[in-house]
Amino acid sequence: MNPGLSRTLTLTATCTLFGATLAAQDLNPTFAKPVRLEAGGKLLGAGRLYPSPVYRDMNGDGHLDIVVGDLRGLLTYALREPGTDEFRAEAKVMDLDGRDLDFNNW
Amino acid sequence: MSPQFVDFDGNGLTDILAGTFSGSPWISIGTTKGWSKPEQILDQNGKRIVLNQFWNYQTEKWDSTNRCDDPHLQLENGHCTSAFAIDFDQDGDFDLLLGDYDTGQLFLRRNGGTAKKPAFGTINERLSAGSEPIDVGKMATMRVLDWNGDGHSDLLIGSMGDTYGQGPGGAVLLFPGSPRRGDNGDMAFDAPVTLIAAEGKSGQNPKRPDAGLYADAADHDGDGDLDLVVGGYSMWTPNGRELTTAEQQKVAILGERKAELMKQIQKLGKRLQQAVEGLGENEAKTKRKEVLKAQSKMRRELSSKLRDCTAQLNELVPSPQRKSFVWFYENITTAATTGGQR
Repeated sequence: MNPGLSRTLTLTATCTLFGATLAAQDLNPTFAKPVRLEAGGKLLGAGRLYPSPVYRDMNGDGHLDIVVGDLRGLLTYALREPGTDEFRAEAKVMDLDGRDLDFNNW
Repeated sequence: MSPQFVDFDGNGLTDILAGTFSGSPWISIGTTKGWSKPEQILDQNGKRIVLNQFWNYQTEKWDSTNRCDDPHLQLENGHCTSAFAIDFDQDGDFDLLLGDYDTGQLFLRRNGGTAKKPAFGTINERLSAGSEPIDVGKMATMRVLDWNGDGHSDLLIGSMGDTYGQGPGGAVLLFPGSPRRGDNGDMAFDAPVTLIAAEGKSGQNPKRPDAGLYADAADHDGDGDLDLVVGGYSMWTPNGRELTTAEQQKVAILGERKAELMKQIQKLGKRLQQAVEGLGENEAKTKRKEVLKAQSKMRRELSSKLRDCTAQLNELVPSPQRKSFVWFYENITTAATTGGQR
């Protein structure tokens, strides 16, 4: 993934994401029963130390992917199959030298 | 460590910002060739940004300082493990929010410089919602977004809860942005509403993230509303079954074997402790490495046997389980009004 390719998901003061206007959100929303996400047929982020997922369009295709950080300081991402609820298998976020991008945790 | 993708240095390329368990915020600068090695974000004096507790990379020990405390406040020992860049005071540059893992409070490091040349303050300003300091018990992470589309940025905070025991788990809270900004343009927040409440940890299967809730929001399913993605630990105890006499005997044998293995592991720990007792810091460090190296084969064997024994026991008598996953919470409050993008 290249920082120049991936689009910045800016959470602006208007409730607009990726050019799609969202309905005004209820401050007391109702959520469906949570489901565990899968990526490439495996449970996403399973067994990672304190997985911290964030939405992000990693390949600039206009679709929301998911990036998972962890306590160790490493990042993986799962790309969305466009137009579906499916995610491709997790891959590591690498640095510019081709090594794991490592946030150098203690 | 919850990453934020943000053009922190304003050069048109996306950077990655994160607070880590080291106690400080870090930034990986985006370049045309990729993301660079993360570096600490420093304050205006070139000093490390921390709350109190931090990992000292020089001494390789946990350390603590009060140099960044607001002298007007009585603060407990804090530990920054999450960070988020946002223009808090509307002056055109990024300020830093720092989340406190230990106390559940939220602090601000104001940028007195510019977007291109930041100069972060040296004091942690504690943030409030309504008239009370923000406090979620133990903070996992925070995001800033306009959840209800009223033009005011809201705070989405995931809390840790009791991450190992049977105490209350974590929750996801929303602190709605208030139109009553401070005189200097500071964001203001109202008292929180609960998006995901902490629940009991009983159950025979993983049903939800129980503890260590890291949350983010976006229109995941393209139906025009904001959903949540939440990472965290699930805790559950699978149902047991009636055992045959032979299986009961096996359980007893495995139980004894497990106790013996744990005893042997403890013995190794005790030997290590005795070996470094009374030694100076450097000598102890060297000795510790030496003993651990000598014990490594034995430790690996014992750990492997213990894992095997525990797995066999769990098949017969299920024990409490704890594992992390990533969960999707679909917002079903309203029907879609406009099409979003998946």
